[in-house]
Amino acid sequence: MTEKMANGPWQEPETTIYRGMACGGTGGELSAVDSKDGKVVRIRPIRYTDEYTMDELKDSLWSFTARGKTLSCPVKTAPPYQTLAYKKRIYSDNRVKYPLKRVDWEPGGDPEKVNAQNRGKSKFVRISWDEACDIMASEITRIREKYGENAVLAVGEDGHCQSKLIHMVGGNHINLLMRTGGYTREVRTPDSVEGFYWGAKFVWGAQVQAGLGMYDNGWNIIEDVSENAQMVVMQAGDLETTQNYASQWMSRVMRFWMDIGIKLVVVDPFCTYTSVCHDEITWIPLLPNTDVALDYGMMYVWLTEGLYDAEYVRTHTVGFEQLKAYVLGEEDGVPKDPRWASERCGVEPWTIKALAREWGKKATTILHYCGCHVRGPYSHEPGRTEVYKLALQGFGGPGVQQMHLFTYGGAKQQIRATCSGPFLFSEMHAMQFMPADQQLPRTLIHRAIQNGHAEWWGSPQIIFATRDDQFEKYVYPIPEDEGGAEVHMLWSEKPCNETCWNGGFEFQEAMRNPKMEFVVTNHPWLENDSLFADLVLPVTTPVEEADVVGSGMGDSIEVAAIQDAAIPPVGESMSDYEISLAIAERMGGKALADSMATGMIDGEMAAGLTIAQQQRSEFERSKVANEISWEEFKKHGFYIPKLAKNWRKLKPNARLFYEDPESFPVDTESGKLEFFSQELLDNFPDDKERGPLAKWIEGGSEADGWSHDETLRGERAKKYPFLVNACTGRWRFHAQCDDITWHREIPTAKVKAYDGYLYEPCWINPVDAEKLGIEDGDIVKVYNERGVVLAGAKISERIQPQSVMVNKGSRSDPIAPGFDRGGNINLISPAGPISKHCYGFAVSGYLVAVEKVTKEEMDGWVKQYPEAFERAYDPASGSHYAGWVEGVE
Amino acid sequence: MTKAFLIDLNKCVGCYDCQIGCKDEHCGNDWSPYAKPQPDTGQFWMHVLEEEHGARPHVKVSYVPVMCQHCDDAPCMKVAEDGAVYRREDGIIIVDPEKAKGQKKIAEACPFHAVFWNEELQIPQKCTGCSHLVDRGYPISVPRCVDNCHMDAIQFGEESELDLTDTEKLHPEFGLNTHVYYRGLPKTFVAGKVYDPEIEEVIIGGFVTLRSEDESWTARTDAFGDFWLRDVAPGDYTLLIQGGGKKYETPLTVGKKSIGLGNIPVA
Repeated sequence: MTEKMANGPWQEPETTIYRGMACGGTGGELSAVDSKDGKVVRIRPIRYTDEYTMDELKDSLWSFTARGKTLSCPVKTAPPYQTLAYKKRIYSDNRVKYPLKRVDWEPGGDPEKVNAQNRGKSKFVRISWDEACDIMASEITRIREKYGENAVLAVGEDGHCQSKLIHMVGGNHINLLMRTGGYTREVRTPDSVEGFYWGAKFVWGAQVQAGLGMYDNGWNIIEDVSENAQMVVMQAGDLETTQNYASQWMSRVMRFWMDIGIKLVVVDPFCTYTSVCHDEITWIPLLPNTDVALDYGMMYVWLTEGLYDAEYVRTHTVGFEQLKAYVLGEEDGVPKDPRWASERCGVEPWTIKALAREWGKKATTILHYCGCHVRGPYSHEPGRTEVYKLALQGFGGPGVQQMHLFTYGGAKQQIRATCSGPFLFSEMHAMQFMPADQQLPRTLIHRAIQNGHAEWWGSPQIIFATRDDQFEKYVYPIPEDEGGAEVHMLWSEKPCNETCWNGGFEFQEAMRNPKMEFVVTNHPWLENDSLFADLVLPVTTPVEEADVVGSGMGDSIEVAAIQDAAIPPVGESMSDYEISLAIAERMGGKALADSMATGMIDGEMAAGLTIAQQQRSEFERSKVANEISWEEFKKHGFYIPKLAKNWRKLKPNARLFYEDPESFPVDTESGKLEFFSQELLDNFPDDKERGPLAKWIEGGSEADGWSHDETLRGERAKKYPFLVNACTGRWRFHAQCDDITWHREIPTAKVKAYDGYLYEPCWINPVDAEKLGIEDGDIVKVYNERGVVLAGAKISERIQPQSVMVNKGSRSDPIAPGFDRGGNINLISPAGPISKHCYGFAVSGYLVAVEKVTKEEMDGWVKQYPEAFERAYDPASGSHYAGWVEGVE
Repeated sequence: MTKAFLIDLNKCVGCYDCQIGCKDEHCGNDWSPYAKPQPDTGQFWMHVLEEEHGARPHVKVSYVPVMCQHCDDAPCMKVAEDGAVYRREDGIIIVDPEKAKGQKKIAEACPFHAVFWNEELQIPQKCTGCSHLVDRGYPISVPRCVDNCHMDAIQFGEESELDLTDTEKLHPEFGLNTHVYYRGLPKTFVAGKVYDPEIEEVIIGGFVTLRSEDESWTARTDAFGDFWLRDVAPGDYTLLIQGGGKKYETPLTVGKKSIGLGNIPVA
C-alpha cells in the first residue's frame, strides 16, 4: 500500500538526539528524542546498533551463562516509562514558562508587603527576567546586609532531579552565593537509605559511597546470584516500581532468575507490582514498619533449629551472645518466637516458620532498591536486622548477597564510572555538596526556621559520612562571631520539601513564618513548595539543553553521551546554571558570570566558556578520550566503554570478606560484622531508641522520652488505628511526573471521585473498608494530629488489613493550613527525627485514621474554603496553573 | 503477506510501556493519511486491560494489551461506506481519516471496543500498526508498542514467521479471524495456604484435589503451604486436601473469577 499513500509530512525526517533522561538524575538508559520544527515528536528506546556494529560493540557488552541459560547486556535500552512519557512533562499544562511573582509580595522586607501569611494561598503574576534578576540581586544583597552573610538558605541537592550534568540541578545558586558572600547550606540527608545509614553502618561500616550503609559490593553480583542463589527475597522494595529511577532492566533479570529456577518471594505490606505480574512469586503480607519483629521471629527459628552458619558467625561477627540473649528472651524474659513476632508484624506464625526454614536452608539473597522498610520511625532497627539476617546466613558466600541500586550493573568497564554514572563529570556547576560554615539538615529546615535554633548529631550528609561522624553534635545558627545568622531568605532548586520529606505541614507553616522575607524557587513546573514562593524562576527540561548526559547507576551498562538540545527552551525558561549566570551578571557583571563558566581549553583552565566549549572540556578531562576521538564521539552521540579485561574474574566484594575476613575486613571497629555495637554504647549510653543491639522498639509518649508512638500497640493507635505505607508511587518518580496525563489514566494511578477530581489512591483492604463503610471511589480523609489529607478509596486485596497505602509524592493542593486535597501524604508524616540522635526522616509506617468524607462534609468545606475549591483545575493533568497564575487564558 | 502481532503475557510486567508508546506516537502527532492525532486521554488505540484476581495473600493482576485485532472479517470494514476502512496488502486495517468522517458506526461495530470515536474530529480512530513507521522504515520500522516493550513481550511480523505455538486469540467465538495472538491469557485459579492449627505449621507437599464427576485438578502445597490450581473451569466441585496426616474436604463453586481461599486450617 505504501505507494498509494500520499506524500506528506509523515515522510519528513526528524532530528534525533541520544540522552539519558531518567528522573533519577544519574542519566538512566539512553533514549532517543526525535524532534521536528522545534517540537518533540517522540521519545523511544535506542539500539546501540543504531550507531555501532555488533563487531564494534563486542568488547563493550557483557554476557554470562548460569545454570545453562545466558543473560546478555541488552542491545536495546530500557528507559523507564517516565522517560518514555516525558513529552507530557515537557509540554505539561503546569510548565512555568515565565518568571512569576506572587501578587501580594514586594521586595524590601516590609512585613506589610511580604504578606508571608498568604504563601500557599495568593496567586502569581508574570514578570520579566529583567525584573526577576533585579529582585534577586537586590534581595540577596539587602538580606545579607541586614541579617548577616549566611542569612540566605540554599536548598537543593538532588534538585528537581532531571538527568543533567553541565546544567545539573542542585547548587547553582551556591555557585553564585559562595562567590559573592556567604549562605547557609541545606545538607541532603540519606533520604532513601535512612535505616542503613543510621543503623546498618554500625554493623558493617559506611560501605557504598562511603556512607550509604548498604554493602559496597562492586561487581558481578547478578552473576553470583544467578549461579548460586536458590531464593531471592524482596522484603520491601518493589523493583518494578523503584527501578524507574533509571532503567527497567531489572525486569529482565528477575524474569531470567525465575526461568532458571530461582524462587522469588515478596514480603511487603502491599502486593507489589513485581509480585502481581508473575505467577511464580509468593507474597507474604506484613504490617508496615514491623520488619524487625518478623526478622526476630525468623532469627528465633534459625537459632533454635540450628539453621544458621555457626562457623561464619564465629569467624566473621562479634556480639552474637548479646543477639542470642535477646532473641531467646534471656535478656528480657520475652522469647522473640514466631508467635511473638506474629502479634507485632501480622504474619501468621506458620508462615514465619516456613519462610525462616526456606531462608535458613537455601542460599538466599535480599533484593531491593533501598527499601521502604528503612524509611519509618526507628528505621535504624530494620536497617540493622537486615544485616543480622545476612550475617547469620553467611553473608558474602555464594548466592548470599544484598542487592540494591548500586549492584544492578552487569560488568566492570575499563573506564571507572563516577558515582553518578556518566563518565564525564567535571564541568558541573551544582555545588550543593560543598561544605559551608553554616548548615542545616534537610529534615530540620522547618523546625530550624520556626524555632530559630536547631541541634542535631551527625552532619548528616548522605555520602562520605562515616560512623564517627554520627557522634558529632551540630548547632544552628553557628556562633555569631563565626558568621552565624538566622536565615531570612530561602532559595530552592528543589521545591519539594513538603512532598518528599518529613512533616510537610510544618514546612508549609515555616514558609508562612514572617521572618522569611523572601522565598524563591527554580522549577520547571508550578507545584509543591513553589506554591509557597514569592518568586518562581522557570527552568528548562533536559531536552531543551545541550549537555553530556549518558547512562549511569542502575543500568545494565554505563554509557557516555553528548547531545544538542532537541528543542528550544519552552517559554522563557533557562537552566538553573543559566539562571545563576544571569543573576551573577546583575551582582558582579560579566567577570563574575565568566568565573562561573570554567573548563579546560587546550589543557589550560579558562573562564567564560560556552556550553559547547564545556562539552569539549568534559570530554577531554574524562577517560572516554582514551578510547574514542572527539569527532567520533560527536558523530555517534554516545559511546560504550570497553569492558575491563579482568571483568570476569572480579569477585563481589562481600566474597572477599567471606573468604578472608582478616585480609578484607569491613569498616567497623572490630573489622567484623557487629551484632552489638560497643561504640554506640560508649557514645550514647542512655539511648533507649538506638541501643547497641537492634531491637523491636515501640516507643511511647514524648513525656517518657520517646521520639515516636507510631505502632498499632501504642496509645496513639486508639485514635489513629492504621499504619500508612507511604512508599514510592508506581506512576511517579518521587514528587515528579504526577502531571503526566498518560499515567494518570492508568487504573492504579488516581481515583476519580463523584466531584470529577482525580484523588490520590488510598488503598484499603475490603475488610477494613467494610468496617469503615467505605466504598471504592469514595473520597476519604487520611489524618492524624498533624493534619488532614484527602484521597480516593481504592479497595483491594493487595493491601494488608490494619494498614493503608498512600504513595508519597502526589502534588499538594493546599486548601487551608493543615488541610490538603492533593493527597500529599508526607504532609502528615512525623515532623521530627527517626530517633533522638538520628535526624533522618520517618515518612512511612506511621499512624493515621481513615474516614469516609460525606457529601455534607465536602459541601461544608467547599463553602468554607471557596477560593481553594474554585481554583481552575484540569483533571487530566491535575494541574492548577491557571488557578494559581493571574491572566492565564 | 499478512502481518500479525504476538503478545506473550508470560513476559509482561504491567509497565504500560506499550500503551504509553502508542500515545507518544499518536497523541499530538498527525500521521495523515494514516491517522489523525489520537485524543490525549480517554482513548487507547493500544489498551492495557488490568484486572486483580484472587484474595490476600494469593493475589495476581493480569494485564492484557488489546488493540485492533486486524480481523479478516472485520465488522468495521463491513459497515464502512465509501471504502473508509481498508485492508493494506500486509493485512493491517486502516481507517481513512478523511473518508471515515462522520461514520460513527465504524467505531460502534468493533466487538473488541478497539475503535474509538473522536468527538472533536468526528472520526473513528484505531491502531494503524504504526504503518507510517513501517512504510517509512525509520527511525524504527515496527509499531511503537513493540519498540517500547522492554520485555520483548510484543512481536510484530509476518504471521508465517512467528512462533504461534500455545497461542490463543481473544474471543475466538466471534469468528472474525483475528491476527493478534496471545500467549498466557489470564485463567481462573483456585489458591490457598494450608496449615495445621494445632502445631502452627504450614503443610508442605500436601495433596490438593479439586474434582467433580467429570473433571479434576491437582496440585501440591509448596514450601510455604501454598497451592495454586490453575486454569480451572467453572463448576461445582469438591476441594480435598490431604497432608500432614490430616484431611480436609469442602464443596467449592468456581465461577469465572479466581478464588483465593487464604489460610485453610487442616485439623
